Amino acid sequence: MLPRETSRSQEPQRKADIIIKLSEFEVPPMQDIMLVGKRAPIGSEAVRRMVDAVSPEQYEIIRIDHEIFEAVVVKKSLLKLLPKEKLLPVVIDEGNRIADDNMVVKAQINIVIQISRTVDL
Amino acid sequence: MLTVESLVNQKLFTIEPTASVRRAASVMECYGIGSLPVVEKGKLVGIVTSRDIRGSHPNRLVADVMTRDVITVPPTVFLTEAQKIMKKYNIERLVVTNENDVIGIVTYAHIMSELSKYTDSLTGLNKAEILYIKALELLKEGREIAVIFLDIDNFGSINKKYGHTYGDDVLRQTALILSGLIDGNKDTLCRYGGDEFAAVASRPLAEAEKLARQMILAIANKNWPDKIKVTISAGVAGGRCTEISATDKDSSYVVKNLINKASLASTKAKKLKKTLVVIDILACKETAVM
Repeated sequence: MLPRETSRSQEPQRKADIIIKLSEFEVPPMQDIMLVGKRAPIGSEAVRRMVDAVSPEQYEIIRIDHEIFEAVVVKKSLLKLLPKEKLLPVVIDEGNRIADDNMVVKAQINIVIQISRTVDL
Repeated sequence: MLTVESLVNQKLFTIEPTASVRRAASVMECYGIGSLPVVEKGKLVGIVTSRDIRGSHPNRLVADVMTRDVITVPPTVFLTEAQKIMKKYNIERLVVTNENDVIGIVTYAHIMSELSKYTDSLTGLNKAEILYIKALELLKEGREIAVIFLDIDNFGSINKKYGHTYGDDVLRQTALILSGLIDGNKDTLCRYGGDEFAAVASRPLAEAEKLARQMILAIANKNWPDKIKVTISAGVAGGRCTEISATDKDSSYVVKNLINKASLASTKAKKLKKTLVVIDILACKETAVM
């Protein structure tokens, strides 16, 4: 015979804790450069549409023929400091060391230009 | 006749480039199809196949997995030409467009299956329809053509005397000999029907005549079983046909006329007891040469 539930039995209590973390959404959500893997959840066309929507005319999308990446998204202002022929091979090479083709990698780039000039006194 | 239009799917499914790979896969699975033309604002911008989406992340856009350079053909293109294009580009599907409108997709398997209906099961050669199409293609390309029509002499007697199995063997051996003499880049050979063979040659008339002579000699010089004598009579018709085929309608007439003239020439060769009669269509000249 099953024990009968008495009036003294405790009702189950259900609670919800709400934890809120607020921070500013980074616009654009990528940083200086983004490397798009060939099997990443978003491809270069999706990135192009996203970039056009959130930061029109600020990024350039370069489709590349590479083992694991299909495109590089680069902030145009960086290319004023350094031509893409110089910049991209370095970034792609470093990205290649840590990423696979399922990933989208974002990179923050600091370029320091050192100049030393001499003038006649 | 034998154009890709006859194979175009009745119901056409397309997809937009902004759709997800998941959606494309779902449409393909639902309708049992292996590819979808990608259309944006009514314009064909790519094609996505089951191979493209296999292994791609389902969240990806179709635009990110599709093939952008789509090879298209009009519905009027011949199956043989479509097959050649697919081989050239190493592709399994062609999108059929009528001007800018996508009207369907044809697959290599469909084309091969259809073309196999035009292969003679006894000899493995093409049937007459392929000869006709090939001749039209050559004329459209502005190339010179000639038709060689070949008829085995007294084939009925061979069948009666040695039996049909033996007769079939003679046909197979004849097909083999003739195939060995043609140049696949220039000539298309077919079993026209019964004991008749025909070839369309992309050659000047004099060269086609030379080829016909080689065919006649090769058959006559073969050591046939039981030392029987097998000979063929031939008719050749040709001679700068491109000059008289300015339109498609003209081309069709020219080809039919050429085949007919070559056929009549082979009959005439038999009657004259000459093995070869050559007809120059443009010069309206007929010569019995062997």
